[in-house]
Amino acid sequence: MIEKNKPILEVKGLKTHFSTKRGVSKAVDGIDFTLHKGETLGIVGESGCGKSMTSLSILRLIPSPPGKIAGGQILFKGKDLVTLSENEMREIRGNEISMIFQEPMTSLNPVIPVGEQIAEALRLHQKLGRKAAWDKAVEMLKLVGIPSPEKRAKQEPFQLSGGMRQRVMIAMALACTPEVLIADEPTTALDVTIQAQILELIKDLQSKLGMGVIMITHDLGVVAETCDTVAVMYAGNIIEHAPTDKIFEHPKHPYTQGLLDSLPKIHEDQEELRTIEGSVPSPYHFPAGCRFASRCPFQQPICHEKQPELLEQKDGVKVRCWMYTDQWTGPVGKKEAVK
Amino acid sequence: MQAAAEKKVLLKVDHLKQYFPVKTDSLFKPKAYVKAVDDISFHLYEGETLSIVGESGCGKSTTGRAILRLDEPTGGKVFFSGQNILDLNKKEMRKLRGDLQVIFQDPFASLNPRQTIKQILNEAMAIQNVVEKPNRMSRMLELLGYVGLPAEALDRYPHEFSGGQRQRIGIARALAVNPKLIICDEAVSALDVSIQAQILNLLKKLQHQFQLTFLFISHDLSVVRHISDRVMVMYLGKVVEIADKKALFDSPLHPYTQALLSSIPVPNPTLKRERIMLKGDVPSPINPPSGCRFHTRCPFATEKCKAEEPALREMGEKHFVSCHYAEKFR
Amino acid sequence: MMMMFIIRRLMQTIPVVVGVTFVVFFIMQLVPGDPAVLLAGEGASKETIQAIREQLGLNRPLFVQYFDYLMNVFRGDFGVSLKNSQPVLDEILVRLPITMELAFFSIIFTIILGMTAGIISAIKPYSLTDSTVMIIALLGISLPSFWFGLMMMYFFSVKLQILPVAGWDSILHIILPALTLGAGGAAIVARMTRSSMLEVIRQDYIRTARAKGLRERVIIYKHALRNALIPVITVVGLQFGALLGGTVLVESIFAINGLGRMIVDAIRMRDLPMVQGGVLVASLVFVIVNLFVDVLYRFFNKRIELN
Repeated sequence: MIEKNKPILEVKGLKTHFSTKRGVSKAVDGIDFTLHKGETLGIVGESGCGKSMTSLSILRLIPSPPGKIAGGQILFKGKDLVTLSENEMREIRGNEISMIFQEPMTSLNPVIPVGEQIAEALRLHQKLGRKAAWDKAVEMLKLVGIPSPEKRAKQEPFQLSGGMRQRVMIAMALACTPEVLIADEPTTALDVTIQAQILELIKDLQSKLGMGVIMITHDLGVVAETCDTVAVMYAGNIIEHAPTDKIFEHPKHPYTQGLLDSLPKIHEDQEELRTIEGSVPSPYHFPAGCRFASRCPFQQPICHEKQPELLEQKDGVKVRCWMYTDQWTGPVGKKEAVK
Repeated sequence: MQAAAEKKVLLKVDHLKQYFPVKTDSLFKPKAYVKAVDDISFHLYEGETLSIVGESGCGKSTTGRAILRLDEPTGGKVFFSGQNILDLNKKEMRKLRGDLQVIFQDPFASLNPRQTIKQILNEAMAIQNVVEKPNRMSRMLELLGYVGLPAEALDRYPHEFSGGQRQRIGIARALAVNPKLIICDEAVSALDVSIQAQILNLLKKLQHQFQLTFLFISHDLSVVRHISDRVMVMYLGKVVEIADKKALFDSPLHPYTQALLSSIPVPNPTLKRERIMLKGDVPSPINPPSGCRFHTRCPFATEKCKAEEPALREMGEKHFVSCHYAEKFR
Repeated sequence: MMMMFIIRRLMQTIPVVVGVTFVVFFIMQLVPGDPAVLLAGEGASKETIQAIREQLGLNRPLFVQYFDYLMNVFRGDFGVSLKNSQPVLDEILVRLPITMELAFFSIIFTIILGMTAGIISAIKPYSLTDSTVMIIALLGISLPSFWFGLMMMYFFSVKLQILPVAGWDSILHIILPALTLGAGGAAIVARMTRSSMLEVIRQDYIRTARAKGLRERVIIYKHALRNALIPVITVVGLQFGALLGGTVLVESIFAINGLGRMIVDAIRMRDLPMVQGGVLVASLVFVIVNLFVDVLYRFFNKRIELN
């Protein structure tokens, strides 16, 4: 077993803002989380909540301009990634922290053989020679379960299926045995039977290599099956952060509750799905209070006045909601809110 | 649901085939075809929702397009209210399109960006001439009410709406002509779950209100379970299983359906399930495997599966399966 | 697979070439002026003109003349010049290499200058460098080549006296005409390279390359450029066509005895076989270059083979 308690990545108060003609979009607006060795942290949320921007910020890959890390720290092995020079950052990317993306179809270079796309990272970071890097690339393809890897390594991406391309992406990301793997919707573009294969593969390699994984996804099913802890994001904030079983059994934040209720269930019949009324506030003009307040079934005056903090409860769950503070005056007690 | 005897068939698809030619590099080689839909038959009862599920390339969307004659089918018949619509000429077909509407995955692509919602709805009604001109305005307001959009929406353009709202506009447009059958092609697939729930509820409500029949095409099995009465599973252009929703989800008989169901990640970490992991990718539909098309990935395949194509057999109350060994999986 | 493709493309060129002969032949018939009258000279009698006409076969029905011409062309017989009775083909074989040399240097210039300018612009889009390069490119497209050619001639040859004014004797003679001829194309290639690069830089696989920790230089030259050049190849191919047309002007300005100038002179003289032969050979060259570009395009973009 891998030692699980050692933190390897700490994100503190991270803010990523985009300056556009319309004003400043606060895509990521002050988030904190810690990733431990061997842990899989899920970051979930609906489109526009800032989950992908969070992952791109960690590797400092946000398109800049207009994007900019406007504040906070990203501590990795004692270094603050936010303040590193571009050269120092390059030595971390693809080496100590790697990333796989959503679209295996477009995330590989169409005119370069896949073996070379893996080997170039090995030559760069591990200082391997051409032959050694190529051999290692073939070995990686074998590791991710690609049949006849010697042949496949010489092929270009268009000759591979979607599932195989995602395997190549994984091989590429893991070639230099990183300590952190960020998987940004790694299976969203894939069919379910292929998704099952890829998730299994990531889990398997994680236990072999012992890296920490950040799994960015909108699919709560994927979270339930792969993650140890979950951070739910809404409008640029983390609104609930808890061990996976706790979040699915007793979701605390009204948004998390709404999200879980609006999912059609595969194992039971429901006449009607619960929905969350209204829409997400614009990242250009967040309200002063809780960002979910206007859609919340439990909303109180205080919710519109001041934004709640992400506070740790007795059971270790962190939640950003007035309902779980002493200031709460609403008619619904904490107990009832947690159905 | 009505008793079986009272059910009236609204749409009957008979040996439908849809082949697309593939460009070959040689002048002399025989033309190759993608057999996107290869001889499938099914029917749809009035007022029910039949879903077609399957992975990419299984032919589910092609089936929908063929029924609408968006692509002209290679073979087979499609009966709508007893009439083979593939025999209809252009004019008759246009008339029929009033009964037969479609909602696509990306409503934005199917809404003219230069038209206001008023113009879009007006045009839909004008083409089918379902509502007299003086009454159209009140009808439009009525339609917006049905789909839960405010009256102000009429003078706005599609880009001013969110994805969920656009899908509501698409639904209003489909409803405008009083259709009998609506084909929903991945209609909620692009939406976030909270919005998806709103649209699913809306579709169910409208179905009751207007006795609509839905052909619901989707890759998302949870959504399918929620909305359907019956479910049809396709694999590489063939129907592998078709049954009432409950039978299909609770006791699937085809190994592919079983694998598909077990592959879905379930948002419940306490639920530990036996997962049937399928090996490899879906084979190319240009040269589909011989015999049972699933035999290359099937954990139970035998020599017989390689050689003989299984027929769709009735294994229980309206439960059809195309597997040589369906008895074994009961 | 590639071989089949080339063979098929070659077969497709046959109708194109026949079409060109057809168009050229019949358009020349529409041009006012009777070659027989020109040949007979001023004040020739009707009988003389008629005799010349019969001798040249000009009195036969047009389609018979065309068919006859076509058959001869396939045998490699382009006819004889009306002006000096020399075989047209001989004249073309003297002139063609000169034009090809000019075109070759122009296209090299187009590619090198165009692509370099495009890449420089794309690396820092909307910067001062980018704006400057793009304004120059816009000028390159807008300025008529005869004016540009004359200005260069004035500046480099008359004022600075570092390059020869006209003629075709040494490598130095090539520089000015090649620049004149290639300037417009270089500008177009520069703009195309820039927009193609900017398009490619936004792609997911460039982000993947960054996530790997590659240096910006490697990302630009290894990952972006190869993809960005695919559409540029087509543009270069099309530019070659424009370039062949441009030789007519440039050869006239710089007094180069190439194919373009030959055609102009022949048109002036109503030297029908010469015009037909010249245009036919020019279009043949164009067709072959396009075939070459197609093959190159396919080589760089293997994905096309699948669909």
